Amino acid sequence: MIDLAGLPLPPNPPAPGSSVRIERPRAGLARLVLDPPHRPKIAVFDVPLLVDLDLAVTELERDGALRALVITGRGPLSFCAGADVETIAALTDPSLVRRFVAEGQKLFQRVHRLGRDGGGRVSTIAAVGGPVPGGACEIALACDRIVLADHEKTRIGLPEVKLGIFPAWGGSQRLPRRIGVPAALGAILSGRLYTAREALRLGLADRLAHPEYLLRVAEAIALGQEHCPRRGSSGVKKALVDRNPIAAVFLAQRARSAVTRETHGHYPAPLAVIPLVVAAPRRSLSEGLEHELEAVQPLASSPVSKNLLRLFLLSEEQKRLGEYPESTPARGFPRAGVIGAGIMGGAIASLLAERGIDVRLRDLDRRALDAAALQHRAEIEKSLHKRRLKRHEAHAAIDRLETTTDAAGFARCGIVVEAVAEKIEVKRAVFGELARLLAPDAVLATNTSSLSVDAIGEGIPGPERVVGLHFFNPVRRMPLVEVVRGKETSDEVVARISRLALDLGKTPVVVADVAGFLVNRVLGPYLDEAVRLVEAGLDPDEIDAALVRFGMPMGPCELLDEVGLDIAMHAAASLEAAYGPRMRASRYLAPRVEARELGKKNGAGLYRWGPARDGRPEKLGRNPHLGDRGDLALGEEEIVDRCVLALANEAARCLEEKVVAKPSELDLALVFGTGFAPFRGGILRFMDARGIPEVVIRLRSLQEARDIAPSADRRARFEPCALLSELARTGGRFHG
Amino acid sequence: MEPRIVLAAGLRLPQARAGALFAREDAAHLGATLARELLARSGLDPREFDEVVVGCVGPPHDQANVARVIALRAGVPRSVPAHTVGRNCASGMQAVLDAATAILAGRGELFLALGVEVMSAYPLLFNPGAVAFFGRLAREKSVGRKLAILASFRPAMLAPRVALTEGLTDPTVGLIMGSTAEILAREFGITREAADRFALESHRRAKSARDQGRMQREIVPHLPLGSREGATALCHDDGIRDDQSLEALAKLKPYFEKPDGTVTVGNACAITDGATALIVTTEERSRALGLAPLARIRGFAWAGCDPARMGLGPVFASAKALDQAGCTLGDLGVIEINEAFAAQVLACLQAFESARFAEEHLGRTRALGSIDPARVNPNGGAIAIGHPVGATGARLLLTAALELERGNHELALATLCIGGGQGGAVVLERAS
Repeated sequence: MIDLAGLPLPPNPPAPGSSVRIERPRAGLARLVLDPPHRPKIAVFDVPLLVDLDLAVTELERDGALRALVITGRGPLSFCAGADVETIAALTDPSLVRRFVAEGQKLFQRVHRLGRDGGGRVSTIAAVGGPVPGGACEIALACDRIVLADHEKTRIGLPEVKLGIFPAWGGSQRLPRRIGVPAALGAILSGRLYTAREALRLGLADRLAHPEYLLRVAEAIALGQEHCPRRGSSGVKKALVDRNPIAAVFLAQRARSAVTRETHGHYPAPLAVIPLVVAAPRRSLSEGLEHELEAVQPLASSPVSKNLLRLFLLSEEQKRLGEYPESTPARGFPRAGVIGAGIMGGAIASLLAERGIDVRLRDLDRRALDAAALQHRAEIEKSLHKRRLKRHEAHAAIDRLETTTDAAGFARCGIVVEAVAEKIEVKRAVFGELARLLAPDAVLATNTSSLSVDAIGEGIPGPERVVGLHFFNPVRRMPLVEVVRGKETSDEVVARISRLALDLGKTPVVVADVAGFLVNRVLGPYLDEAVRLVEAGLDPDEIDAALVRFGMPMGPCELLDEVGLDIAMHAAASLEAAYGPRMRASRYLAPRVEARELGKKNGAGLYRWGPARDGRPEKLGRNPHLGDRGDLALGEEEIVDRCVLALANEAARCLEEKVVAKPSELDLALVFGTGFAPFRGGILRFMDARGIPEVVIRLRSLQEARDIAPSADRRARFEPCALLSELARTGGRFHG
Repeated sequence: MEPRIVLAAGLRLPQARAGALFAREDAAHLGATLARELLARSGLDPREFDEVVVGCVGPPHDQANVARVIALRAGVPRSVPAHTVGRNCASGMQAVLDAATAILAGRGELFLALGVEVMSAYPLLFNPGAVAFFGRLAREKSVGRKLAILASFRPAMLAPRVALTEGLTDPTVGLIMGSTAEILAREFGITREAADRFALESHRRAKSARDQGRMQREIVPHLPLGSREGATALCHDDGIRDDQSLEALAKLKPYFEKPDGTVTVGNACAITDGATALIVTTEERSRALGLAPLARIRGFAWAGCDPARMGLGPVFASAKALDQAGCTLGDLGVIEINEAFAAQVLACLQAFESARFAEEHLGRTRALGSIDPARVNPNGGAIAIGHPVGATGARLLLTAALELERGNHELALATLCIGGGQGGAVVLERAS
C-alpha cells in the first residue's frame, strides 16, 4: 500500500478509485487507463492518482491470468503531464520530499517487475502520445515497450533539470539502460522534449503508430501478435561505451565541464545527475534507485528548485491572461498590419507570418521592406532546414508576408502594430492615418519602448482599442512581451492581445503606461551604474564577469553594446525626464556616441568588436577610445551590489506604484525580459532571500560610498523607496 | 438585358528576362503574391469570389491545376473553386474571357483572373531512349539483371529534350514560331531594317513610359525568391534596353533562318517571366463593391488561321471583335498588339490596311481601316518588356484599359497572335 501521508491534496480531490481504471477487452489482456476526473485538461501524478495507480497495480499483480498489459491515457494524445508540479513546489519538509520520491520509485519499480523485462510474466506496453514529460516518460520507461502516437503534438522527454531537480522515479537509471549513456546524458541534461520521430531514432520509443491505431497496435504487440523489437542501443555499444569504466569517466568529465560552462555552478541539478546516469549500466537497478533517491532529496528542497518551479508555474498562469471573460467569444486576428520595417517591425511581421497570420508590412523605404522580406525568408529557410516546418508550411509562411510602401490594403486588418521611429509626432501621425483606414474596432497597438501609449493614442476614435505591445530585441528569442494598458484600454483588448502574444510563443505581462514600462525602467539604473563603474576606473570585463557570476546571462557592458549606446542614451534621457534626478545617467559615453561608436553594430562601444562568427561578433577587449579612467577599485561583491540593488530599488518602486499587478508577475517579467538569474526566482525573491532589512542597510551604505555620497542624484538612486523601508520596518516580505 | 462586364481592378508584376532575376521563382508563388496584393488593395473579402481562373502555358508539374494552388496560397478560402486554362500565348486573355463568358451565362458574377508564366522553370526532359532505359532498370528485380541493363546505357541518352523549344514549335506544320514570322516577312516584304526600326521604337517607348512613371499604376514591385542579402525588389520590366540602337540591332545575326533571314533576337520578344491579375465582374457589382472600373469589355472574339502564318491571327480576330463591338479600326484610341516578332506586327499592320487582304481572307470588300502608328503600343511592347506567354494576354488588357484613361480615349483594342494559328481580340470601352 503506497504511503503518501502528509503530502498535499489538490483543491478538489476526486472520489477514491476514480482516477485510474482497468479495462479488460479480452481474456489475458488488461488496459490501465489514467483518467482522473478532477484534471480535465491532462492527468498529473498527484496524490489521488498515485494512490489509485497503486491499487490498480496491486490488482494486476494478483491477476494470475494476466499476460498482456497496455498502459495508456484517456486519449491517444492525452496521457499524463508527469509529477504534479504544484505538489513538488509546495514540498519543503525533506522527509515528505523523500516520501514522494521513494513511493513513486517503488510504484514504478513494481510496474517494471510486472513486465517481462523485469522478470514478470506480463508483456507491458506503454501506448502514449501528446505531452509525455517527466514522470509520464518514467512510467513508460518502466514498461517493456513504448509505442508512441505519431503526431506533431507528441513530445516525450525528461525536462526535470529545468525545474532544478532531475528524473528521480527511475528515469536516470532506466533511460541510459534503454538508449545508452551518451544519449541519455544528452536527453536528461538538456531536458529536451522529443518529437515522435526523434524519439524513435533515439530509441526512446520502440514503435510509432497513428493516434487512431495506437491502442490496436499496442494490444497486438502485448498479445504477441506483432513482433516489436527494442529500438534502444545495440549490444556492441553497450559493451564498449556504457559498461566501460574508462569511457564512463571520460563521458562524465565532458558532461560536467559542459554543464559548468553553461551554468557557472548556479544549477546543481545537472551536476548531481551526471554520475547517476553514467554509473547506471554498471549497477543493479535497486542500487541505482537508492542513489537516485539520495541525490535528489537536497535538490528538491533547495531554493533554486523552488524558484525554478515557481517561475514555471507563473508562466503557466500567465497563459490564463489570454483567456476571455466569460461572455466574450474568442476573437483572434486572421490579418494584421505592421508599420515600420526596421529591426523590430520586420521581425514582428516575420513572427506573425510564421505563426499563421496574414501580415501586411509597410515602410516608406522599399529597401527596408526588401531587407525584412529577405530576413523572413531566411528564418523560414532555417525552420525548414531544422524540420520545424514542412515544405508547404514554409511556402505558406513566406506567402503570408506582404510588403508595400503604400497606405492601401490595410482595410481588413484586425490589428496593426506600429514600429516606426521613436518620435511622438511620427507615431501619432501613423495612428491617425490608421484610424481612418481601419475598421472602428480594429486594435491599434504600438511597439514603443520609450513613449507613452496614451500620448500616442490621444484623440484617436475608439481609445479602448489603443494598447501597447512591447516586444524585446531580438524579437524571436526574447520570450517576454509587455502588454501596456492605456487609460482607456478595454479588458477585452488586453485579453485578445495577451492571447496573440501567447499564440506567438511569448509570455505576456500587463504593465501600466509609465516611462520605460517595467523592464527598461528597472534596467536604466542597472546599466547606468555599470557605466559609472567603467568611468570610475573598472574594466568592463571585470564588471561583466561579476554580473555573469551573479547569474545574469550577459554582463551590463556587453548588454549596452548589444542594445546600442545611442538607443541606451535615448532611453536614459526619457527615464530622467519622467522620473527625475535619480535616473540621471552618466554622460561618459556621449563622446562614443558622437564618434558613432555605438556598440556591436559598428565594431566598438564599451568593447571593441571583431567580425561576426556564426552571427556573433567577437569581443576584442576594452575600447581604447573610452575616456580617462578613474582609479576606483572594488571587490566583486560591491560591483554586483551597486548594479543589482539599483535595479532592485527601482523594481520595488514599480511594485509600489502598481506598474505591474503582482510581485510574482514582476519577477516573471524580469526573468523573461532580461534573463535575470532564474535560479534566484526574480529580483523580489532575491531581496526576500537576502533579507529586506539587509537590502535597505546595504542601500544606505552605498549612499555613503566615496564616489556616490557627493552627488545628490546618485544618493537619490540609492535612497530606499517607501515600500522597501516599510517592509524592512515591519519585517515583511514581497512574497508571503 | 446582357450584363455589362468590366475589368474592375488590375495589377501586374514587373516582367523579368527568363533565367535571370526570377529564375528561382515558381508559377504558384508568383501568382499568389500578385493575387494577394490585388485582393489587399481592392479591400474585397476573398470569400466573395465565384471562381479563380488562371492562364498558364507551362505550369509546373508539382503544381497541378496551378490556379487552385495560387488561389489557396493567396488566401482565397477553400470554398472558392479554381481552374487553369490554356490557349497558348493567349492563355491570360482566355482566363479573363472565361470569366466574362461565365458571367454572360449567369454562372457567377465576380472572378479573379490571372495570367502567369515562369519560363525560367521550363524543364529539361529525358529523351525516349533514356526513358526506356529507366523503365527497363526499374522492372528488373535482381542485382544481376540490373547490372546488365546498366551496361546498356549510352551517352546519347543524356541528350535532353528542351521543353521550351518543343513548346514553341508548332507540331502540325513543324515550324518554330520564329520561322512563321520569316514567312510573313517574305510575303509582306518586310525588311531587316524595318524590323529593327520597329524594335528600337518599342524600347524607346517602353523606356519613356517607365521614366515618366506611367507604369507605376500597373506594376507592383517584386522581390523574387532566391534573392541574396542586400537585393532589392524589381520595380520595372528589366528587358528594356535604355541604350538600344540600330547599330547594335544590325550587328545581330538572324536566329531562325541563317544567313538571310529578318528575325533576330533583337527584333523578337524575349523569353520572360511574369504575371498579371485582373478582377472581372459586372459594372453593377463593381460599384457595389466600391471599385471604380478600369474599362468595360465591349466585345471579344477568337479566330483560327493558318498555323504557318500564325502571326496574322490578330487581323482575323480583330475583324470579328470589331464587328461584334460595332466599331471600326478608326474608332480606336489605342491598340495593344503583342509584339511576338517585329516582322509579324508589321505584317499585321499592313494586313489591317490592305483591301486585297480583306477581300482574300476576311471576305470583305474594304480594308479594315488605317492605323496611326503612334497609337500602336504607345508604352512599348513585348520586344522591350518581354512575352511571358501565359501572362501576356492579361497584360495587354491591363495596359490597354489603363491607357484609355491616361490617353483620354474612348475605345481600345487588345489583340495577339497565337501559336497554332489563332488570334484573340478584345475591344475595351472607357468606363463612365
